[in-house]
Amino acid sequence: MYSYIIRRLAFGAVTVIGVSIIVFAVLRILPGDPLVAIFGPEGFTKLSEAERARYMADLGLSDPLAVQYFRWVGDIARGNFGRSFFRAESVGEMILRRGPLTAEIALLSVILSWLVGIPVAIVSALRPNSLGDNVSRFLSILFLAVPGFWLGMLIVLAALFMFGYRAPLAGPTLLTDPWGNLQVVIGPAIVLGLGQAAYIARMARSSLLEVIREDYVRTARAKGLSRRPVITFHALPNALLPVITLSGILLGFVLAGSIPVERAFGTPGLGYAMFTAVSERDVFVMQNLVFIYAVVFVLLNILVDLTIAWLDPRIRYR
Amino acid sequence: MTVTEPKTAYPVEPVSLATESSRLPRAAGGFRSFIRRSPLSAFWGCIAAAIILMALAAPVLAPYEPLKSDFRAMSKPPNERHIFGTDQIGRDVLSRVIYGSRASLTIALGAVLFGTTLGALWGLASGYFGGRFDIVSQRIIEFLQSFPDLILAMAIAMALGAGFGTVIVAIAITRIPFGGRVIRAVVLSLKELSYVEAARGLGASHLRIMARHILPQCIAPYLILATTHLGVAIIIEAALGFLGVGIPPPMPTWGNMLADSLNAGLVPPWWLVLFPGLAITITVLAFNLLGDGIRDMLDPRLRRAV
Repeated sequence: MYSYIIRRLAFGAVTVIGVSIIVFAVLRILPGDPLVAIFGPEGFTKLSEAERARYMADLGLSDPLAVQYFRWVGDIARGNFGRSFFRAESVGEMILRRGPLTAEIALLSVILSWLVGIPVAIVSALRPNSLGDNVSRFLSILFLAVPGFWLGMLIVLAALFMFGYRAPLAGPTLLTDPWGNLQVVIGPAIVLGLGQAAYIARMARSSLLEVIREDYVRTARAKGLSRRPVITFHALPNALLPVITLSGILLGFVLAGSIPVERAFGTPGLGYAMFTAVSERDVFVMQNLVFIYAVVFVLLNILVDLTIAWLDPRIRYR
Repeated sequence: MTVTEPKTAYPVEPVSLATESSRLPRAAGGFRSFIRRSPLSAFWGCIAAAIILMALAAPVLAPYEPLKSDFRAMSKPPNERHIFGTDQIGRDVLSRVIYGSRASLTIALGAVLFGTTLGALWGLASGYFGGRFDIVSQRIIEFLQSFPDLILAMAIAMALGAGFGTVIVAIAITRIPFGGRVIRAVVLSLKELSYVEAARGLGASHLRIMARHILPQCIAPYLILATTHLGVAIIIEAALGFLGVGIPPPMPTWGNMLADSLNAGLVPPWWLVLFPGLAITITVLAFNLLGDGIRDMLDPRLRRAV
């Protein structure tokens, strides 16, 4: 197990380095001129030659690319995420203030997706092609096609028109105001949770259908065990392994999906900050946020892989 | 004594002629069996075709100009003159939804043609050659997959600046790793088969083996992947538009319309929210179910792979 952990972490480190290079290449090299990205094409033409040179030097953009890259990586290693071009708050402070809200949304949505997806899958797999199975399969196909942010907008509208209710816009923390916090978090979590539940229900159904046909399940039934314990204690644990892997992959869906969904609900989380950075063309904030999102995604996937290896010895000893 | 020509088991000429002449009926037969096997997919396939037709015939179908404001009818709820209502500067929502299909479909198609195809060719080469090239390719693909789709697309679209081509490129790049992975797996199992071995034994070049013997076998998984990616690309495009890094306004796209609706006041009017989103959902649903049907018909074994 230890050698597996070390190998997985080493691969993770290589991936993080690769990710940093891609982020740097996309946001620093591609735009051609970062000043155009910051000021917009019209604003850029209004700047004089001297102003341009001064801004470039101020931002450290006139150095060679390699120097810029290593300075950026060094800053991040020291925990310095820079500051926005447009506002006073540093990116580090912003992450600490807004990050927890998005983390709560992500966690809650994963829990919701399991609570919804797994029971639906069990009902489906136990009676394949029944009415319940067909309805749940149709719903899961439908939810794969519904954009989460649109569902979010509809929920906001429906809550407003039917109950005259609007979620608070400020972000109360979990510790100071749990009830207000839940009101902010629950909408995005439901939208993202349903989106994941659709994938989870599909995967769990097919995986459960496969496991139910295995010999050991038949043996368990043959020795006189009733249906319910066979499903919960024999079939389900094995059927859930691929679902855990999928759930890890879907975390990417949650991280990315929370950006437009937080925009739809007006949730003051990290996703909303990402939206602000993108609409203000704030290259430096964007660069750090994209990098952090990718690193979090890589770390979460390592965590999922280790969980799977811990649960399933076949993977550990490969 | 007349020597009768010995009957060859496989008379080459006539058969090739026969297939030539029967290509059309065979395609029709395939279509018929597609309908019989999965009527649901065939139904949604028709809807997908209808949406494509709607995009092509937008100028004929749209009752108003999508960009023209009517200042006598601003923010009007659906009525008999504007059945989907009008937005805050009096543009007809129905016309904009119809025109919006053009942007969505063009971008989705462009992204898939570029991205999925490039990824598939890359996967073909990396699976076929193996070795160091394969190892490096796999790493690069893994790096690209470490980004959630939408975040990578946002970063690229923002860096390149708004526009039609840049949005296509941004979405296409997120499709590359998937094409690469799937096709590589297919090629890995194919290249060990004896007919490939035989071709190599006959002295065929790498290029010829890849093009003539391996590529045709990759078409089915490619088609399945491509139809699924169409749906994904449409959703990413809408999200980019919604976040303001898609195609710049005033061009109507479904994502832009949803973003606009949030600027229409403190509370977005429901008709500005409902109809563009419904268009996205129906289009994606149609392509996904069509993809499911194509997958079932071409290769049921790929059910889990893609």
